[in-house]
Amino acid sequence: MSFNIKAGLASVVLALSIGSVPSVYAAKSLSAAEPDWTGGVVTCRVLQYIMENEMGYKVKRVTMPAGTGVYEAISNGDLDFACESWPSYTPARLTFLTKFGGNGSVAYLGETGIIGGSGYFVPRYMVEGDAARGIKASAPNLKSYKDLNQYNDLFISMESGSKGNLIGCPVSAWECEDQKRLDLLGVDFNAQALGSEVAHWAEIQAKYKRGEPFLAYAWAPHWIHAALDLVEVELPVYNADKWPATNWDKDITYNYGSTTLENEHPKIAQLIKNQNLGNNQQAAMIYEIDVKKRDTEEVVDEWMKANKDIWMKWLP
Amino acid sequence: MSAIIESQTQPGWLGNLWEKHRGWVIATAVLGVSLVVWKIHGGETIFPESWVESFPFADKVNEFDRWMRPYVQPTTRLIASGVVWLYDAMSEFLIFTQWQIVVVILILPAFAYGGLRLGLLAILTVYTWLMLDYWVEAMETLSLMGISISIAVVIGISMGIACSQSNRVETIIRPILDTMQTLPAFVYLIPAFYLFGIGPPGAIMATVIYALPPVVRLTNLGIRQVPEGIDEAATSFGATRFQSLIKVKIPIAMPSINLGVNQTVMMALALVVLATFIGSPGLGDIVYKGLVRLNVGKALEGGLAIVLMAIILDRVTYAMGHLEKTSGSQHDHVFRLFPQALENIKPVLYIEYGIDWLWRQIASLGNFTTLMVTMVVCKLIAALNSNFADKLREFMLARSFLIASLVLIAFMMLLDSYSNLYGKFPLEWEYSFRTPVNQFMDELVSNDVFYSITQGIKKTLWYGLINPLNVFLKGLPWWYTTLVISAGAYLFNGRGFAIATLIGMVFIGATDYWVFGMITLSTVIVSVLICFIFGVPLGILSAYSKTVDTLFKPVLDTMQTMPAFVYLVPVIMMFQGGQVAAVIATVIYAVPPIIRCTTLGIRELPTELNEVSESFGASMFQTLIKIKIPMAIPSIMLGVNQCIMMALAMEVVTPLIGGKGLGLMVFDGLNRASIGISLAAGLGIVMLAIILDRLSQAWTKTQREALGLN
Repeated sequence: MSFNIKAGLASVVLALSIGSVPSVYAAKSLSAAEPDWTGGVVTCRVLQYIMENEMGYKVKRVTMPAGTGVYEAISNGDLDFACESWPSYTPARLTFLTKFGGNGSVAYLGETGIIGGSGYFVPRYMVEGDAARGIKASAPNLKSYKDLNQYNDLFISMESGSKGNLIGCPVSAWECEDQKRLDLLGVDFNAQALGSEVAHWAEIQAKYKRGEPFLAYAWAPHWIHAALDLVEVELPVYNADKWPATNWDKDITYNYGSTTLENEHPKIAQLIKNQNLGNNQQAAMIYEIDVKKRDTEEVVDEWMKANKDIWMKWLP
Repeated sequence: MSAIIESQTQPGWLGNLWEKHRGWVIATAVLGVSLVVWKIHGGETIFPESWVESFPFADKVNEFDRWMRPYVQPTTRLIASGVVWLYDAMSEFLIFTQWQIVVVILILPAFAYGGLRLGLLAILTVYTWLMLDYWVEAMETLSLMGISISIAVVIGISMGIACSQSNRVETIIRPILDTMQTLPAFVYLIPAFYLFGIGPPGAIMATVIYALPPVVRLTNLGIRQVPEGIDEAATSFGATRFQSLIKVKIPIAMPSINLGVNQTVMMALALVVLATFIGSPGLGDIVYKGLVRLNVGKALEGGLAIVLMAIILDRVTYAMGHLEKTSGSQHDHVFRLFPQALENIKPVLYIEYGIDWLWRQIASLGNFTTLMVTMVVCKLIAALNSNFADKLREFMLARSFLIASLVLIAFMMLLDSYSNLYGKFPLEWEYSFRTPVNQFMDELVSNDVFYSITQGIKKTLWYGLINPLNVFLKGLPWWYTTLVISAGAYLFNGRGFAIATLIGMVFIGATDYWVFGMITLSTVIVSVLICFIFGVPLGILSAYSKTVDTLFKPVLDTMQTMPAFVYLVPVIMMFQGGQVAAVIATVIYAVPPIIRCTTLGIRELPTELNEVSESFGASMFQTLIKIKIPMAIPSIMLGVNQCIMMALAMEVVTPLIGGKGLGLMVFDGLNRASIGISLAAGLGIVMLAIILDRLSQAWTKTQREALGLN
């Protein structure tokens, strides 16, 4: 008796579902990776908005940390496309993308229009002081990585022991190689990874608010540079042969997707290639989402409605 | 160790001490010797590089994985595509059907099995999903659950039956089940991700495997427990072995099988949520996003939706196994809404009369509908085969609730396709509490007093416990640590386990994760210690006070069903990222079993104990300290054992808030798509888990024996 109702309901559910889901629907469904940093989410949402509202597609978003895993999933056919890859964070590009000498099992789908830069930063009050807040310059001679060891004591944190602390790249999948970089450059610091982007910014903001010294990894375009006054610590100029003992390269970010996308959904592939979102546009949306804690969908939808002239040009 | 030998040979107080507190003497001696070794050794231990180089485990696994994939993947991907098809069919049906219809489909089983109370709880649950606007996510989780449970139950019951019929099959399957239950849940996720793909297929297959053991075990047990005589009676009446199994034994074993299904459901839910790590959709994803955005409110909402789903699934599957107690339409005065204890209050009685009247009306309406449908159907069929029609009539009339429900659902669907009667869930009925929660959290965190309190806790924990233990464990020479733990294993579990321990420890070292392993160990030790310090007094308190107990019960229930990473968000906001935050989150997650087991251990002691000790003039406090706590130690240790396992399971979640140790490497491998790294670190955790589990179980056993239990 006990399983009868359940079994009955299950069979009815199954029978009805097969009949009621239109078959067209499956053909117009795509799945995309949801990046793990706000900028990437914005870039992806903008594309998805157009696909869903202008082209009649349904996009499933799969949350995955950016990195080799996403490339693997795309080449396996588990995902259709992903947005805003930063070349210097993605050694996987060398394996998968023909453009970078890979095997071509993932397709390069054009630049996004976002140009990124990354580096290590300290608050300006450390170098120049802040008379208004009554903070004296604690490290007046701090200009480049070479000066860091001399100020080691300022950067000591609870967990780093006697070494200075770098609030490093929060997600290991981004392959920033912070600890390796410090070691190779002879900086006797400890690189700390906080696990998620927001935890990273929360830590930095808390330190800044209390006027404490810190050394942190950050990238642009990002609202943090508008919210806090940061100075970049010079690193050796990017050099592919010496990586990671150098700064990051300027990142001309790109979209990527499965090799079958162009054949099966040519218009979608073309739309992704046409995307050209500016740094400023993206930074404004990131600010709304992260600082004002608004819903991503809400912010992107609002921007889409207000900026039709920008994205209508991308439609194939 | 010399101290031990000495104390054995010397009679007098030393010998007495040895006899009474053997465990403590050994522990103190080992600690003392270790401190000396640590002091002499100095610096961090380094596992011999040549060993690491000659054991390229991760690389070999990756190589093997790449070589094997073309052979295995076609099969696994075929299975995956079947699973995906099922998942898509179910989830799209649930999502694209009018919500009112789905609501009816979901709450009817609760009404059918659990009566009005469970039905109302189901309505509350479903309403919460709608209210929070997580309908789609809830349907996705429900689909994942539905499909993985169905597959697990089908496979599990068949395996259980096979085990019950053949001792040989049982001896093969039993150790496999044992291992499956010891492995931390997420270990299943990694291979599932590679073999079946990200998202639903990987999540479903991992869940099926993870949730399988209880249903197999309990089916096997249930059938084996059927008294021999019944089986003999059946065969003597000429039934074949198969007939006796199907018609006699399985129906008798049904309560046990149902219990297995119930446990499987709960295990499945835990993993379906954790499967967010391999891109599985649903409510877990909401919590995960809340975490990475530091959105406490959102994470809490997602957590609440999951907890409610867990409660309702638990109750419904439980009620299915205890049907005769709850379906009481034959009885006259069944209290449907309020507890029977309120019988004497007049208004309650009138309300119950009203409900009863309404209930009967609905029941007779249902019966009438069923009668009508049955008549029509059977008339039609009787024209073809009258014998079958009679059987069908009997079958249908016995299931009036099911038939009436189906008619209702069909009617609603018809109405849906021919009219525009239903709308979307009204916006004004939606309510979200994430904004006030977030505001509260923001204010709390930026409050200076609160900040100094949390920082104080953080510093105390770090400098007082975590850091010293880190330094100590990392500083002990690897061969020394390995030997001590293996010696412990030998002492408690014998030679075989000591060798296994030795291999396990060397494996962790040879994969170059020794330091990570020691951090994991220190995190677990500190967490369990704190759990013990807080959990035992709380457990005692709730054993003595009914009020505390009733207050604790729902809190502990919620804590145990809440997905682990809901805790991470407030913890990271208050304590920032790092190992301290990891320990605090682990404590919150792992403390319930200690509280529960302590309460249980003290309460289950015979009441005569109280009387006896009081008659000797002992105060309540003395009775507690001198008699009750020592007697309850086996039970408390059981809680500690569970706590250790949960702390290890948490290892793989805490890297999200800056936790270090082996979990971070599992994460790293997952992110870098290196199955080798994940597997090496994951196996490291598994080995630590097995070692700690066996050691603490053996300790419990010696305690039980010392008390003359068993």
